[in-house]
Parts: sequence; structure tokens; C-alpha cells
Amino acid sequence: MTGPVALKAAYAVTWIIELGYVRYLLGRYRRVRNEMKDLKRSS
Amino acid sequence: MKPLSILFIVFTLALLGFSTYQALVVAPTEQTMGDVQRIFYYHVPSAWVAGLCFFVNFLASVAYLVKRGSNVDALAAASAEVGVVFCTIVLITGPIWARPVWGIWWTWDARLTTTLVLWLIYVSYLILRRFASGSQTQVLSAVLAIFGFVDVPIVYMSIRWFRTQHPSPVMGGGENSGLDPVMLHAFFWNLLAFTCVGIILVAARYHLQKMENQVESAHAQLALQGGAR
Repeated sequence: MTGPVALKAAYAVTWIIELGYVRYLLGRYRRVRNEMKDLKRSS
Repeated sequence: MKPLSILFIVFTLALLGFSTYQALVVAPTEQTMGDVQRIFYYHVPSAWVAGLCFFVNFLASVAYLVKRGSNVDALAAASAEVGVVFCTIVLITGPIWARPVWGIWWTWDARLTTTLVLWLIYVSYLILRRFASGSQTQVLSAVLAIFGFVDVPIVYMSIRWFRTQHPSPVMGGGENSGLDPVMLHAFFWNLLAFTCVGIILVAARYHLQKMENQVESAHAQLALQGGAR
């Protein structure tokens, strides 16, 4: 692996992990919100 | 979402753009390693945020054992998870940097090994929280977090205590250490940007944990009501 390729790979990996985590959090938010709505409806 | 939170997110995104520009364009090219050294501007701030998150997790775990509050427990869970995310970045960007510079992806030196152990400790912590059931889960995870945190100063000091393949400290590492002022400038911008990202992620995860706790207690209440009928 050459220097420029390594640099691009490291920066890309950082962004992919951070954005992936944000996406994961948003998915969990959506699920919890839906569950809250269901609970309100059933109570 | 509160307007102040939105403002902080916008500020952080702008800061991330600016700090990446500083790292890739403004900072001078290092003479020995060349452009690959610019990984430093993402690698070290990620390690800093991971350490900071584990410190918050440690404080929250101690507070939980003292007060048994659900808010500090939510903060402990949030900070550990975000800490693992940043520690994962460190463990991936490190070998990517090492390959062209050292000629190897990995070596079992003190810094790398203790960092991997740190990651494993906090992954175990998250697994414990996720899969253990019963009223003692929070207490057990708080105790694990307190013991696990012992590895953080060991990771930090490992390059001072042992001879390692990993470079000696760049700042505060003795006579021959130090950074070019422009590099230092770019480094601090990235440190600030990554810290802001860490704060946003911990705050979001904390909020989510509290919502999940609410749903869980509502489910328990419904089950109780159903059982009483």
C-alpha cells in the first residue's frame, strides 16, 4: 500500500465508521419512536 | 431538536470541513514519511475522544454505584459505545498508517496491544449491557467499567514505559519531540472538531438510551396492568 492510497483509505474509513454509527443511531431512534407511538395507542 | 443543538451540529460540520482542509492542504508535508503522515490528524484526535469517552464512562459508573441514578447509567452506556466507535477508528487507521511506514500492518508492541485490550474490554462491557438480564446488570457493568478504565492510563504511558515500534510522544516527550507550529495548528483544529463530534454522538446516544428506558418501563407497566386484570 503506497502513502497516498493509505492516506485516502484512513480518511475514508474514519468517515465511513462515523457516518455508519450516525445511521445506526437514527435507525434506533426511528424504532423507539414507533414503539412509543404504539404504546400510546394501546394505552 | 432544540435550536441550540442544531446550531452546535452546524458549527461542528463547518469545523470538520475546516479542520480537514487544514490537515490535507495547509499543514506542511512531513519530510520522512511524506503525505501518509497526515493520517496523524485523524488518528490522534480519535484516540483522544476515545480516552475522553472512557473517562466519562468511568465517572458515570462511579456515580452510578454511589447514587444508583438511571441518568448516570444512561451516560455510562452512551459514552462507552461512542468510545468504542472512536477506538475502532484508531485500531483501523493505525495499521493503515503503519503498512507504508513500518512495512507491517501490526506488531504486538505495548502501545498497540494495550489499545487492542482496551477495545476488547469496552466491547465486553457493551455485550454485558446488551445480553445480561436481571437487576444487577447495571451494577456489574459499572464495576467492569471501573476496572476496565485502569487500561486507559496504561495505554497512554505505554510509549513512555516501554520501547515500542509505535513512535515516542510527539508532544511532551522530551528534548527531540515537538511539532512544526503549522502542523500543531492543524492538529488542534482537528482535536477540537473530533471532540465536538464526540460530544454530539454521546448526547444523541444518551437521549436515545433515556427514550429506550422509558419504553421499557412503559412495557413493564402495561404487563403489570395486564397481569392485574
